[in-house]
Amino acid sequence: MRDFDFLEPASAAEASRMLLDEPEESRLIAGGTALMLGMRQRMLSPRRLISLGRLEALRGIDFDAKEGLRIGALTRHAELAADPAVQTHYPMLASMAARVANPQVRNQGTLGGNLCYADPATDPPGCLMALDAQVVIQGPDGERRLTIEAFLVDYYTTALEPGELITEIRLPPPAEGDRGHYARHLRTAAEHRPLVNLAAWVRQRGHGCEAARLVVGASTVVPTRVPQAEAYLMAHPPSEATVDATAELIASGITPLSDARGSAAYRREMVRVIARRSLAHLFALPLE
Amino acid sequence: MSEHRIEVIINGEPVTARVPARRLLSDFLRDDLGLTGTKRGCETGICGACSVMVDGRLVKSCLSLAVQADGQPIDTIEGLADGETLHPIQECFINGGGLQCGYCTPGFVMATCALLAANPRPTTDEIRQALNGNLCRCTGYTQIVESIHHAAEKLHGN
Ligand SMILES: Cc1cc2nc3c(=O)[nH]c(=O)nc-3n(C[C@@H](O)[C@@H](O)[C@H](O)COP(=O)(O)OP(=O)(O)OC[C@H]3O[C@@H](n4cnc5c(N)ncnc54)[C@H](O)[C@@H]3O)c2cc1C
Ligand code: FES
Ligand code: FES
Repeated sequence: MRDFDFLEPASAAEASRMLLDEPEESRLIAGGTALMLGMRQRMLSPRRLISLGRLEALRGIDFDAKEGLRIGALTRHAELAADPAVQTHYPMLASMAARVANPQVRNQGTLGGNLCYADPATDPPGCLMALDAQVVIQGPDGERRLTIEAFLVDYYTTALEPGELITEIRLPPPAEGDRGHYARHLRTAAEHRPLVNLAAWVRQRGHGCEAARLVVGASTVVPTRVPQAEAYLMAHPPSEATVDATAELIASGITPLSDARGSAAYRREMVRVIARRSLAHLFALPLE
Repeated sequence: MSEHRIEVIINGEPVTARVPARRLLSDFLRDDLGLTGTKRGCETGICGACSVMVDGRLVKSCLSLAVQADGQPIDTIEGLADGETLHPIQECFINGGGLQCGYCTPGFVMATCALLAANPRPTTDEIRQALNGNLCRCTGYTQIVESIHHAAEKLHGN
């Protein structure tokens, strides 16, 4: 690992200024789980690491029935998984966070660091997209908000401009009838990172769905919503046939990655399988 | 390249040290403090041989910088035994055949400490989940899981 300076700003505004001092040579560090790997492998060689560790304002989780959920960017996966408000009001999010990586990485890795690294083979981005989350960004010119769709741009690329950082993640308040299910598929039981994942969220009214957000992650460059599958699900009463057809639409509606971990065809088939199971689970339908 | 004065509490003892920014927590423990119980295995966050507790959280010390631990308590495998008397978890690993070469063992024992502190009587499934971040090339895991069941019994009764 190349030598670097370690800086400890006392506020988000100071962190932003430090980033702007030498934008090409500077990187923020939160938990460090993604960055340390990248630096050890010399994929990244920043000369300055700017630590978010002292920014207490970026910690904590708050729930309000009107405002929804605020998750500080420095919240660790394990904290998200264990939070009572998250477990009660956003069970899909808590259950996702409890399965990220392994216990040690969940105790150290943060939600903000996860989103900003924009590694495709991860869990939170798709789940947050299905929950209609926004990121709150602080920069030299103040604050702005982006949806996850707008924030995640490409492989390891986000919409962050020089001098910007994420301070928090916001979720809208849940409503009656909201249900979600998060599923991840691993290539082998010993692997930590997902090969494919699916976050399925619906708002049920009577027998049907008034809204749906179906997001495939880890098998596409950035998590992908599948609008044609969402429209189909909303137009048809839940049944085994609806579940099968929706799962087909999800699988055919994405452009899967193809790499050493899994071919496009394999990933597409696994998307179909986990989509079918997830939707059946969501509507409490038995599957043969 | 910046140097930092850090104050940590290692296994209950306050320690002050100067470290360069790039010093990994695993290297700080092993090379600077001589606490070689913490192992370096994969050094990529996979194997868990480097697991320690920082502020009560089980983490992989190969993925952390020593400066990041400034101001916090750190517990390593060396802090478990009481003089010549082994900790019940260590005894159970020895008696239950929970190790062969022993290289992974400090990591597994630290992960067991974290598990049993949060969940005194875990099921086999819960044990396997909690050890998900630790690899062992020798034992095949069955006897590690059994050793942990015994340790839970010994520490927390039936
Ligand atoms: C063995 C292993 C297994 C893993 N498995 C999984 C898995 O199964 N699922 C999964 O989702 N992830 C997995 N990960 C990825 C894991 O690193 C992330 O999930 C973690 O949350 C990253 O957060 P961090 O705080 O450690 O980020 P850091 O390493 O501190 O930072 C990552 C990047 O984000 C930037 N950054 C950090 N915080 C901010 C901020 N607030 N604003 C702007 N930029 C910021 C940094 O500059 C850096 O570029 C795994 C990692 C390892 C090592
Ligand atoms: S040496 Fe740290 S996880 Fe393998
Ligand atoms: S006992 Fe040899 S690696 Fe586990």
